[in-house]
Order: sequence, then C-alpha cells, then structure tokens
Amino acid sequence: MAYIEIQNLYKRYKKVVAVNRIQLEVNKGEMLTLLGPSGCGKTTTLRCIAGLEKPEEGDIVIDGKPMLSQGFVPPSKRGIGMVFQNYAVWPHMKLFSNIAYGLKIQKVPKPEIRDRVHQVLELVGLSGLEARYPAQLSGGQQQRVALARALVSNPKVLLLDEPLSNLDAKLREGLRFEIKSLVRRMGITSVYVTHDQAEAMVISDRIVVMESGNVMQIGKPQDIYKRPANKFVADFIGTMNFIEAEVEEILKDSGAVTVRTGFSERMLCRRSDASVSLQPGEKVFASIRPEDVDVFAEPPQGRENMYKGTLAHKAYLGNFLYLFVSLDGTMIRVQVSHHMPEEEGQELYLVLHPEKCMILF
Amino acid sequence: MSRGNLILAGALWLVVAFLVIFPLSILVVESFKIAETGGWGIDNYLEFFKDTYYFKTFANTLLLSTLVLLTTTLFGVPLAYILARYRHRGKTIFTALILLPIVLPAFAGVFAFIIFFGKYGTLNLILMDIGLIDTPINFIYGLHGLVFIQSLHMLPFIVLGLSAGFTNIDPSFEEAAEVEGASGYRRFFTITLPLCTPSYLAGAVLVFLWPFTDWLTPLILGQVDFLPSISYLNIAYHFTDLHRKYMGIVAVVVSSIVCISLFLLARWWVERKKYTGLSKGTTSEGRVIEPSAPVKVGAYVYMVLVAILVLLIPIVLGLAAFSRRWVFEPLPTYWTLENFRLILLESPVLIKNSFLYSGIALIFGIAFGLPVAYLIVRTRVPGKDALDFVITLMLAFPGIAIGVSYLLAFWEGIPLAQYWIIMPLALFARRLPYFLRMAHSSYLQLDPSLEEASEVSGAGKLRTFFSISLPLLLKGVLVGVVMFFIMAFQEISTAVFLYKGGWETLPIGIYLNWHRGMEFGIAAAMAFLMIVITFILLLIISRIGGGVLKAAWGAEGK
Repeated sequence: MAYIEIQNLYKRYKKVVAVNRIQLEVNKGEMLTLLGPSGCGKTTTLRCIAGLEKPEEGDIVIDGKPMLSQGFVPPSKRGIGMVFQNYAVWPHMKLFSNIAYGLKIQKVPKPEIRDRVHQVLELVGLSGLEARYPAQLSGGQQQRVALARALVSNPKVLLLDEPLSNLDAKLREGLRFEIKSLVRRMGITSVYVTHDQAEAMVISDRIVVMESGNVMQIGKPQDIYKRPANKFVADFIGTMNFIEAEVEEILKDSGAVTVRTGFSERMLCRRSDASVSLQPGEKVFASIRPEDVDVFAEPPQGRENMYKGTLAHKAYLGNFLYLFVSLDGTMIRVQVSHHMPEEEGQELYLVLHPEKCMILF
Repeated sequence: MSRGNLILAGALWLVVAFLVIFPLSILVVESFKIAETGGWGIDNYLEFFKDTYYFKTFANTLLLSTLVLLTTTLFGVPLAYILARYRHRGKTIFTALILLPIVLPAFAGVFAFIIFFGKYGTLNLILMDIGLIDTPINFIYGLHGLVFIQSLHMLPFIVLGLSAGFTNIDPSFEEAAEVEGASGYRRFFTITLPLCTPSYLAGAVLVFLWPFTDWLTPLILGQVDFLPSISYLNIAYHFTDLHRKYMGIVAVVVSSIVCISLFLLARWWVERKKYTGLSKGTTSEGRVIEPSAPVKVGAYVYMVLVAILVLLIPIVLGLAAFSRRWVFEPLPTYWTLENFRLILLESPVLIKNSFLYSGIALIFGIAFGLPVAYLIVRTRVPGKDALDFVITLMLAFPGIAIGVSYLLAFWEGIPLAQYWIIMPLALFARRLPYFLRMAHSSYLQLDPSLEEASEVSGAGKLRTFFSISLPLLLKGVLVGVVMFFIMAFQEISTAVFLYKGGWETLPIGIYLNWHRGMEFGIAAAMAFLMIVITFILLLIISRIGGGVLKAAWGAEGK
C-alpha cells in the first residue's frame, strides 16, 4: 500500500527544471532511496516531501492526506522527521534541548519528554551526553543526535538527506548498517537521499535512480544491478563494459539478440525489455559486468561468445584483480578473484556469458 | 625567526608604549593623586562614589546606555531581518541609507535634529501653523531626545551585525526547526535569534559604550549629568578647581574601566559562542523569502521612515548652510552663500588643519599599521598577540580618555602638547585599530606563496614587501586608508582637549560656533562641508572597493 504518493511532481528554479513531473510511491514501512549524481533532483524531491520547497505542479499525498492540492501544508504540520546533510544540530542548545525541541512544541508533559529523550539517546548510543553542547561532539556523534532528534517524536515519515556524506569512509560504513537496522526496527517509512551507490545498495528496500530531474529506474537493489534499465543506470551503479554493437538478428523463439561488434561477427545477448522493439541494423551497446566474464588460458570447448584477446594490463585491488583484455582493439575489463600467472601481452580467451550480456542504450 | 622581525617588533612596541601605554598610565596614576596633600591614595574614587552628584552621573550614564541599547535593538532587529531576508527592490540604497550614520559625524545629527525637532524647530512650527498644537512639543530636550539621537547614530552597528548574522547562518538550522514543528515567531526566537547573538553582541557592546564616550550630544541638548560630559566640563573648564579636575579625571578612568571591561567581556563571550564553522557543506546564500503583500508594504514603510530620519541630517544641515537667520520659520527664507564665504575666507585655516592633521595621522597609521599587520599575520615574533590585543583595546577606549591622558602626559616633562604635532599624534593613537584591522584582513587573504616565490627568486624581505605584498594589499589597504581618514577627519573627543588657538579643526570649529553664540549657520555650513567631503571620500572607496556598502561595512567599530 502506498504510504507516500508523489504525483506528477514538477519543480524548477528560474529556468532550470529540477524535478520533471515524476511519479513515485513509497510503501508503508519501506526504506526508499533516491539515488543519482549531484543535480539530478533527488534532494529537491526530498525537500518537496518535507515541505521545504514548493513545487510548481503536482501533489504529494502522505498517509492519504494531500500536502499541496488542498492547501499547502507547512513542514511543521506534516509529522515528519528529517536528518540533514550537515546535521543541523543547533549549536546553541545542549543535546537534551536539541532532541526535546519538537516534543516541547507538541506540549508533551515534561517527565515524558525526559523519558523519551533518554530512550532515543540509548537507541543511538549517546546515553549520558545530554548535557553536552554539539561543539563538544564528533561528527559521527552529531549525526546520531540529528537522527535521535528526527526519531524522538515517532514521525510518520523519516527523511534523510545524504546523512552520511560528511563523515569519513570507515564511520560511514558502520553508520549505514546502524541506520538501517534502527529504522527497520521502528518500522518507519523513510526516504533516503544519497549519491553513493554502495550506500544505496546496502540501505534500501527499493532504489529510485534519478538523472536530470527524471526517474530512470525504480527497483530492488539486486534488480537495478542485474537488470539496469538503460546505459545511465548501468554506468552509475557498479562497473560495466559497454561494447559498441549493431543489431544483427532477433531470435524469434527465445527473444535473444545477436549483434555484430568490432571484434566479432556474432555475439549473443539475452532477451530484455528493450529487445522487443529492436530493429536489425540499430546501434546499441552490448553490455556485460566485469565479474560476468570468464577468462581461460586455453580455449574452452563448446562455449558461446568465446573470443581470443590480448592481456593489455593488470590492476591489483587487494581482494580482486582487474584484467584489461583487448579484443581486437575493444578493451574489456574482467574481474577475477584469484591470482593470474599471465603476463601482459599474453593471449587469453574470454567467455562473455550470453545470459549476462544485455542490450542497453 | 629573523633578527629583523625582532627589531621591527621592538620598534612598534616602543611606539605603542610611548603613544598608548605611557599616557594612559599617567591618566590612571593621576587619578590616585590627592590634590590637597600631594600624596597618593584612593580618596578620589571614594569621594566620587560618595558624592551623590557624581554617583548620579554614573547611574545616569548606565541608564542612558541601557535605553540606547534597548531602542537600537528593538528597532534594529526587524530592520536587519528585512534587509537580510526579504526580497525587495532598492535593497542597496536602503542599506546604504540606514548605514549612513556610521560615516556621519555624531554632532552633525545633533545639530540637524535641534533645527528640525527643536522647541521652535521646523516640525513644531509646522504643527502650530496647521493648528494641531498650541504650544511646542519638547521632542528632543531631555533624556528621550538623547536616547533618540544616540540610538539613530548607533543603529547601524546593530543592523550590520545582525543582518550579517541572519544572512550567514546555515539555512538548515531553521529548516530543521520547521520540520520539528516550530513555525514563525517560535522558530525566530528559539533558533534564528539565539544563533545570531554573537554577531549581535559585537555591535551591541559598541552601542552600549557610546554614551560613555559621547560627551557632546548631552551637552548640546543641555544635559550635563553624564560621565563623559561632566568629565569634559570639569577638565576643560574647571581645571583650576582641583577638586573638580580630579573628579573629572576619575570620571574618565571610571568610564574607561567600564568600557574596557564590557568590551573584553563581550569579546570573550563571542569567542566562546562562535557558531560559525560548526556546520559544513552548505551552499545556500542564506534564506531570502518573498514576504506577503501587507508584510512587504509594512517593511517598506518602516525602512522609508528610518531612511527619512537619517536623510534629515544632510538635508537640514544643507538648508541651514545656505541660509541665514533661519529662526521661527519652518523653512529658511533668506538664501545666501555668506556662511561659506565666512568659512573659506575668514577661517580657511580650519579646513587646512583638518586635512593636515588627518593626513599626517594617516601617514603615521600606514607606517605603523602595515608592519604590525605583517608581524601579526606573517611572523611568530613573541608578544605579537599582546601587541594586537593592546591595539584592539583602543576600540573601546573613550576618545575623551585619550585626549585627557595626552594633556596630562605631554604637558610637562615631555612637552609635546605645546607643539601642533600632538594633534595628529592623538588622532593616530585614537584610530589605531581601524587601519590595522583592514590591513590585517587583507594580509590574511594574501597567499604567502606569492611572497615566498619572490624570495626564492632572490628578492630580500623588504624588496618583496614593496614589489609584491604592497601592490597586492593595496586595494584592501586603500579602503582602510580612506575609512581611517574619515574617522580622523571627524574626530572631536580627543582634539577638543589638545587644540590651541590656530590649531582648530573643522569639528572644533563647529563646536565653537555653536558654543560661542548659536552661530548655527556657520556651524551648519561647516558640518555640511564635512558631510560633502566624507561623501566624496566614500565615493572614492566605492570605486575601489565595490560599493558604498562595502566601504561602510569595513568599519565595524567606533
């Protein structure tokens, strides 16, 4: 059931269209991530949900109540919690007052405020620091304060605007899991904005990939990784080999597609939504992830999509190895987990699994 | 660190010791002298606070300070908010007008308002003519007038600080409060305003100290029971009455102590409460909002009213300057250039003195300020922070304290006060921090590698300074130079104690003409002349520094 509905949302700043009539639904209790490069409209969308921006067109419905079409509902009346990119922990207030701020406005009785602040501080692991000023806390701790402040009033919706982007890498990774389990446990419907694809993969139930104000794809993390809707998504999430190709034939029975590439007359690609409308002769990208390519020193028998290449160079990344293999001038990146004895310049055989090869634009 | 830097630091310390520490120490020492016996003790202070009259002046001054601070805050907060947050036309011109009093001499405002708001001033005459009132209303003679005039003069300091605060605080602080459920006034009073307190306080302390410094405004309005005014009267007019003289000196020291303590207290508090730099990663240039139509109209009316009050000063002085016998008439009827003829032909020496003294003070200022800025920013000479501290303290010292201490220190023993050079020296000492701060901040912006590159190429330190640093610093320094000159040009508190026949400057001329026989015409013409000169100078800076606004913004302190 959709708990938040974003209907035809349109927002522009002067002449720049930030959000271009997008359509989204967030289910109750779900963690949805808006993912995309800077300027893609993800933060603007989030701020529209919060009520911090007024869109030109469209509506946002939270729990059945329209926020725009029946009069603008200001942020203070939307019942949301929000974590800001720069924490926005008020420097002139102690931790306790920061967290209790919203409860005081709601006129919650004093003893209850105290109890709830203590509870939420325990939840985020900051017990005993109530009397500190924000300046006396580390960045990670301030982020937890911001989270506690957003959670303490049991909001209907939790909005997180790149909450981890100001933290260093190690801390960021730890907090990702913490935020996820905390939000999951409380069952709050949340919208999370990030430009970090790894963060999005870990934290989300579903991901919305955005670009230039448009939604490129919506789906579960593994769907988006395994079945990217287009070249942009495939490129933005993970690493992908894009091979320039021309459609040769669409196989009637399986829906698979054969293409002609710079290194081969025939390469078999799997059926995809896109292949339905393909025409022979069309220019496309035959795409495959580096980990879906197999490498052999000797030519294996009876394998589809097997090509001979030359090892151009190797890159050692610790837990795995990248091989850059030239297939007649087309560079293919291959990920292997074990050590390869081959030297640069040596001949190799690649198998590009047909069921992992996709046609993308 | 190099030997050269040490020698330089030593030389600069000598200057500070001779022109600041020595005379001010003499002032303090003198306040402990017992007139009757020639001995030493705290008797003067005891007498001062036991004497109900002097205690009253002290209490009065505190009261006036409190009222002025309340008034400026009450009027300044909405004004700063409008200027910083509302999207409206004519922002630049309104800001410039509202900040104008910073660069107008304080006494110019008093004269203009006496002419306009006086018992038989323009406003009362108009009101009586149209039959609204029978007897004139007392608009300005009394405490209320004093509060009004001083508040208008000091309003820019509150507006400057606060509007910078309103613009610079991270928008997400307010958004977070909005999301948490705080709307409108609640958000403003619990989040926005508290976050701006440091920037407010920096201006507020200067406002609060003004009544401890401004001796002339109460005097012109016929009020003398305030510390600076009574100090002036006691020392300048009753120096032969030793009791009154010493009470005057004690009053100066007491004022100075109050000023310095409050200044340091505020500084300490602001340092402790600095909120800037705590949040990161914001790109927004503050929150500019489109107010609703009625709010917008209200904002315009409010700004226009303040702007009119400010504009009254040059307009009224201009009218008075080009007329004579402007008495019992709402507007002058006899137009003439006689006032200017008298100034230019009979006493051109005042203009000459003003330029000469301010000019020499300026040369001292540059010769002293640049090396100090260099020492503070570029070297690690021991004691440089102390040097910075002493010079900054001069911001808080009442001008009258400098004047009196120079009189005491340089009369006998080192009889510098018998030569006219004392005038520029005193102006220089009084306005030390202005130029320094400007040079300091432009030095901070100068990338040291530019200088290092010159040294690597074989230039010595001195050559590097003149061929690389100075040309690059020039823009920032020039603004400082002009502001310094304007301040020195308008200085009266210090000069009034030190001038002798023939050394009068324009501000002293204005004061004397008022004092001698209500020669408003000549005083007004002189004040008008000063305003014109100030404007020309400001125009020059705005050409250099990008806008009159920036020029005024450079001077955060009085």
